[in-house]
Amino acid sequence: MTVFHFFNCALLTFGPHAIYYSATPLSEYDTLGTCIKTAVVYLITALIKLVCLATFLKVTENDSFDPYQELLKALIGFIDVAGLYYAMTQLTHRNISQTHKFQAVGLGWAFADSVLHRLAPLWVGARGLEFTWEYILQGLEANANLVFTVSLASLGSLMWLRKNKPKALIPFIYACAGILATMPSITSYLRRILDWDFPKVVGFELLASVVMAFLSAQLFFACQRRSSI
Amino acid sequence: MAGRKGREGQMLESVYSVLALVFILVACVELYDAATVLDVYRLIQYDLAGVPFGSRFANLNHHAGSFPFRSGADLSRTVVVIPVRELNMTILQEYITQKQRLGGLLLLLPQKFSFEHRGENGGQTYGKHVMQKVAELEKLLIHANLPYPVYFGFEDDKIDEVLADIKKNDATDQHSTATIGGYKFVVSTPEPKKVSSAIIANIQGWLPGLKADGDVNQLPTIAIVASYDTFGAAPALSVGSDSNGGGVVALLEIARLFSRLYSNPKTRGRYNLLFGLTSGGPYNYNGTLKWLRSLDHRVRESIDYAVCLNSIAPSENELWMHVSKPPENVHIKHLFEGFSNVAKDLGVNINLKHKKINISDARVAWEHEQFSRLRVTAITLSELSVPPELLDSTGGLYDKGHFGDRTAVFRSAKLVAESLARHIYAPLGKNVQIFADGSSLAVNPSYINSWLDLFSRTPRMAPFLSKNDPFITALKRELAEHIAEVHVQYELLDGMFSFYDSTRARLNVYQVASVTFDLLLLLALGSYLILLFSSLVIVTRGVDDLIGIFRRPPSRKFKTA
Repeated sequence: MTVFHFFNCALLTFGPHAIYYSATPLSEYDTLGTCIKTAVVYLITALIKLVCLATFLKVTENDSFDPYQELLKALIGFIDVAGLYYAMTQLTHRNISQTHKFQAVGLGWAFADSVLHRLAPLWVGARGLEFTWEYILQGLEANANLVFTVSLASLGSLMWLRKNKPKALIPFIYACAGILATMPSITSYLRRILDWDFPKVVGFELLASVVMAFLSAQLFFACQRRSSI
Repeated sequence: MAGRKGREGQMLESVYSVLALVFILVACVELYDAATVLDVYRLIQYDLAGVPFGSRFANLNHHAGSFPFRSGADLSRTVVVIPVRELNMTILQEYITQKQRLGGLLLLLPQKFSFEHRGENGGQTYGKHVMQKVAELEKLLIHANLPYPVYFGFEDDKIDEVLADIKKNDATDQHSTATIGGYKFVVSTPEPKKVSSAIIANIQGWLPGLKADGDVNQLPTIAIVASYDTFGAAPALSVGSDSNGGGVVALLEIARLFSRLYSNPKTRGRYNLLFGLTSGGPYNYNGTLKWLRSLDHRVRESIDYAVCLNSIAPSENELWMHVSKPPENVHIKHLFEGFSNVAKDLGVNINLKHKKINISDARVAWEHEQFSRLRVTAITLSELSVPPELLDSTGGLYDKGHFGDRTAVFRSAKLVAESLARHIYAPLGKNVQIFADGSSLAVNPSYINSWLDLFSRTPRMAPFLSKNDPFITALKRELAEHIAEVHVQYELLDGMFSFYDSTRARLNVYQVASVTFDLLLLLALGSYLILLFSSLVIVTRGVDDLIGIFRRPPSRKFKTA
């Protein structure tokens, strides 16, 4: 019965990634290679991030919120953006359109993140007899994370790959990308300073993911329309 | 080419085997992150002449339910949790006599019963009501054959919370079963095994009297005997401070007092003193019988009389002297007079009670009857006026240290010591106080207190005491401190009784979700994913494509055909 629960949680955590891949044209253009390459880039980025965190961050005994440390953490978080940049621009992608490229990169990135951060706790925790909502919430968080990553990747492709974008939209693009990149710090702030509990944080993340996805899509389509004209 | 393929195949195989190993290792990681963990003590499991009694199982893995359950509910897969405070004895009795199946039974004793609260003197606040209930419950459970695990635990904040939750669920008629979530109680212990050979250890000490000019063996002997082991519903909780911790402690104190008198040749009496700490008391004084049989018959014949101490902390200052010989007997008369004289000085009321021995009856209600059967004059001092039934009043659950009155133990120890001394030093006259308060030979309350503390912490059911149990060693060492010639004699317990182990365990309480919940979750997830799929296809490729996906397989078939 608990294996059943594990299966459910795993489905919620990793299902959307697979659905996204198979439902969108990504599968038709065979972008699996890009996804895997991105996942490898993610792994390397995560390693660099860990090394940075271990080097620059002090270990605090109490769980207090130190603004300086948090700022540092947010800065280190921007290594992710650098990783995404690398994956987007430096990797050789077999002739796929920009639209598909950013989706594949975002998907690979989010999937690698889910596997790395959520698979082990899920395997260890969700099979136990004790029932908690935690793993279901964690699955929902994975969904929100997927949306965030794909949105960030779309904005990244706008920033780095598209040359002729409308000048008026550029500040908006950068602002949205900034918000998306600092999302981990924002949730950490909510959890620690405002003392939100996990369900509330996840609710916020889901809501934010919908809003950000909407904004990113609007920006992306606006740019595309302009370029097509 | 083929060689390369073969090598590749081998490599793949080895990779697979490594992967399989990793998976097996990961799958073996068992998890016990329970909501609450509780120390629990299993109900005794024993066979009496081959007839099974007590709780026959130890493993528990069921959902929990609270006690005032609906009538006719199927409880064969439910652990019923009952705080003893709220227990309705008649309903439980009905359940047991009707042999209804339960998944398990967890009885929660008030916190005051636990070891940590032993020392506090707040026990009286619970009153007679709960005590009586515990005594009744114990009697009921010991003599029942229960084909499910029964555990005792102590109430604490965590389990009270869980219990309140369970009650809330039950009240809203959501009886927790496999289909509705709730709490799962899990005890995983190995199957209880029969204790192969129950050993009883009798400790014997000898304080020789002053021989005039003849042989030591010519001196008469007085035996002081107390049985130290217990029997109760929960072996790991049977500490028996009153039955018979008080008696044993009084014996130790008497040994200490007389050792001081006997250490000086001037005050050494003309009696040998024989001290016996016997085991197997609850089982018809089996240990006493074996000990007496093993004694040299010359020693046995030299015994003038034996005083057996059994539950000597009366709450109403009333002690009973139980005898097997008729009260008109000269020895008995003399003994009783001696004791009642001292008792009067101490303000204790002592009564004589005569009970004839029926040799054909296997039941031995009093320890002195084992002596009387061997034609040795003997008495039992006890607070009980009527002989207890088998396995009754043997230091079970309700017999807790702080409920008894400790000054009663001091007084009884003094009574016995003084009576013996007046008998031994009879030539000094009737009104000499030898162990007067305040003198160097006074009864030492702190000595008695510390020993009573130890007794009320130490469960000591004979079958579960090993040969070199620290407790037996401590008793032996304590006796040896005061008197010479202490030795321990090991005997096998009467084969009529056999016991099963695993007396204590850990109970894991898990909050679980039901299968129904997981099914619903699966359904919701499935529809979510299907919805996601459809909407993504529609957004990125259009509605026609979505329909096309479902149409494709038959068209392909058509093509191949």
